[in-house]
Amino acid sequence: MKKNQKFIALGLVAAMAMSTVACGNQSSGETPQPETETQTQTPAEPAADTQAEAEPAPEESAAEPAAESDGSYENCTLTISWWGGDSRHEATLAAIDAFKEKYPGIEVEATYGAWSGWEDSMATMFATQTAPDINQVNWNWLEAYSADGSAFLDLNQVSDVLDLSQYDQGALDQCVVAGELQAIPVSMTGRIFYWNKTTFDKAGIGTPTTLEELMAAGETFKTVLGDEYYPLTLGEYDRMILMVYYLESVYGKAWVENGELQYTSEEVQAGLEFIQSLEDAHVIPSIQTITGDGAESLDKNPKWMNGTYAGIFEWDSSASKFNAALEEGQEFIVGDYLPDMGDYQGGFSKVSLGFAISETCAHPKEAAMLLNFLLNEDEGTTIMASERGIPLSTAALANCQAQGLLNETVAEANGKVLAWVDYPLDSQFEAAALKSSDGVYYDVMAGLSYQDYSIEEAAEVLIDGVNEALSK
Amino acid sequence: MGKNKFLKRNVGFLFILPWLIGFLVFKLYPFAASLYYSFTDYQLFEGITKYTMENYVDIFTTPKIVKALKVTFQYSFMTVPLKLVAALFIAYILNFKIKGVNFFRTAYYIPSILGGSVAIAVLWKAIFKDDGLLNTLLGFFGVNGPSWLSDPSYALFVICLLRVWQFGSAMVIFLAALKGVPEELYEAASIEGAGKWKQFFSITVPLITPIIFYNLVTQICQAFQEFNGPYIITQGGPRNSTTLISLLIYNSAFKNYEMGMASAMAWVLFIILMVFTVIAFLSQKYWVYYSDEEGR
Repeated sequence: MKKNQKFIALGLVAAMAMSTVACGNQSSGETPQPETETQTQTPAEPAADTQAEAEPAPEESAAEPAAESDGSYENCTLTISWWGGDSRHEATLAAIDAFKEKYPGIEVEATYGAWSGWEDSMATMFATQTAPDINQVNWNWLEAYSADGSAFLDLNQVSDVLDLSQYDQGALDQCVVAGELQAIPVSMTGRIFYWNKTTFDKAGIGTPTTLEELMAAGETFKTVLGDEYYPLTLGEYDRMILMVYYLESVYGKAWVENGELQYTSEEVQAGLEFIQSLEDAHVIPSIQTITGDGAESLDKNPKWMNGTYAGIFEWDSSASKFNAALEEGQEFIVGDYLPDMGDYQGGFSKVSLGFAISETCAHPKEAAMLLNFLLNEDEGTTIMASERGIPLSTAALANCQAQGLLNETVAEANGKVLAWVDYPLDSQFEAAALKSSDGVYYDVMAGLSYQDYSIEEAAEVLIDGVNEALSK
Repeated sequence: MGKNKFLKRNVGFLFILPWLIGFLVFKLYPFAASLYYSFTDYQLFEGITKYTMENYVDIFTTPKIVKALKVTFQYSFMTVPLKLVAALFIAYILNFKIKGVNFFRTAYYIPSILGGSVAIAVLWKAIFKDDGLLNTLLGFFGVNGPSWLSDPSYALFVICLLRVWQFGSAMVIFLAALKGVPEELYEAASIEGAGKWKQFFSITVPLITPIIFYNLVTQICQAFQEFNGPYIITQGGPRNSTTLISLLIYNSAFKNYEMGMASAMAWVLFIILMVFTVIAFLSQKYWVYYSDEEGR
């Protein structure tokens, strides 16, 4: 009798432990969930991001001939997803409402949320073909989730409805994977310096225009303002991108070309030494210092808000987010590239994000109509404005410029980026195995900063990681 | 008549059908599927290209995974005893007839229902960041507090503390057990001159050992599967010092899409859990007292 009880008890424990390999711990807490319709979000998006969709009824998708722009449409329900902050949600929802008013037979259901955890859930949807019809997608998602073109529709099939002539061919080419135009690029972006001029004024120096001035600013900040003040702050991924900009400026070649890393171990070591020299010269705080600030992201870090950290190296499309985070009385300005970093104009621009129609979308023509409305037509672009960066669509850009809808800071930064950077970016640069908080970039840059790695070890780990990602 | 009898005999199955379907679909199937996947190189977007034992070999040869296992053991060995002691101690105090006891019982239970929410992450960061509440308090006493969140030596402690702080559910179970200890045993012990501590260790603890055992097993299961704490507060950092194996399983499955490896890690975790559970069950005869007809 007693033994039976023990067996039953053991069985129950086994069932409980079974959840380890089945559905995991459900005892407490919550994991990020995308929201639908009227939910609200916290803006925690990266500058370059997006997603794509999928839905039933495969008969009408891939094999279909190009849609015709005869103005007719089928009554249907479309689903669309995106990530972003509150202002992006509001603008997109308003634009969707305007679309529904124009095409009363088309219902649109929206799913949207903050960036945090978004890619994880979208990846699962892409894998299971349960994503919405239209999805905001990050550029690298095309390679990651649709390398064979199976997830997203070739937009050339709906080019009679979706006006592709509004887009620069080079930008469109960046969205061609497996010979198919899998997404429509919304904007281009690149990294650039932003400065808090107020803090530099307090330190009695101007904002840096050369690398030499930047290096000198570290010591000035330390002696004039105090140990906790830094002219620039860089997280792990920021360091990686700045290192690539630096290496391209010095050596005059792209980081990766034709699927191969173009840099030797010695050259990568030089790049890592450059990053470490910034930390040693009190130009940037250590990773430990930034982690100890306890902030979810840099724009939410009180030290950025109050000017203790006086500079960032960020996506041009993120300018308004960082500007808005500053406390009153701080002056935010767009910086310049540092010409003495090297003999070449190092750096890259890339498709910030795009929209893709799912391969399994039952109504690709109507989905393309919605995209065209949001991205090209005056009525939609007036509402969307520069919520996803400076529009690539010439029609949208002209409309926004004519109406003064563009954020001036973002426009200035975008103009500087596109005028300076010159090197291509391989989409594998943003592969999850490299870019995620669990990835190689974080490991290398944090390991270097925490002094877990020597320069040589860090270079080896980085090169091995990049080569492994490129081999996939 | 026969039909009625059949219905009467089997109507119970109808009532448990929703649970049964849920168990088969959401527990048993994933359980079996994960075992299968663990012997493959299943990648979410590339499918299975080969069957292999490599995942299990990699688990014990990849430094990052070995470290995660080590951290998981450290975490469990710290939180389980601390949480049980805290829960039992507070339950013992709240078992006395003190003024406002219901308020205190509720107050101590609340943290355990907060779980691993974003609000808790914000709270914990506000307390433990470099210039947070704790270091500010320490500063009043002239102590320069460490970097709790960013120093790999301390970060795991912060995560452990979150779990220990959420002792409410274990406390409630202990409280119910303490209520079941016969009052006359304490009276007899008092007459014999036993003090409160003597009574606690000689009467209370032995009589509630089945409940201690129950809490021990459930807490071991929960501790080894802990995910929320490190996910919301440190994301496994700094330098993987709070990367528990469950977080690594999540990252492997949903960030790197390596479902085969994630399944193998989950199975290793399952086996570890079963070993500890079996050890706990086998140890019963040495320390758990059951007051049924067979006694111990």
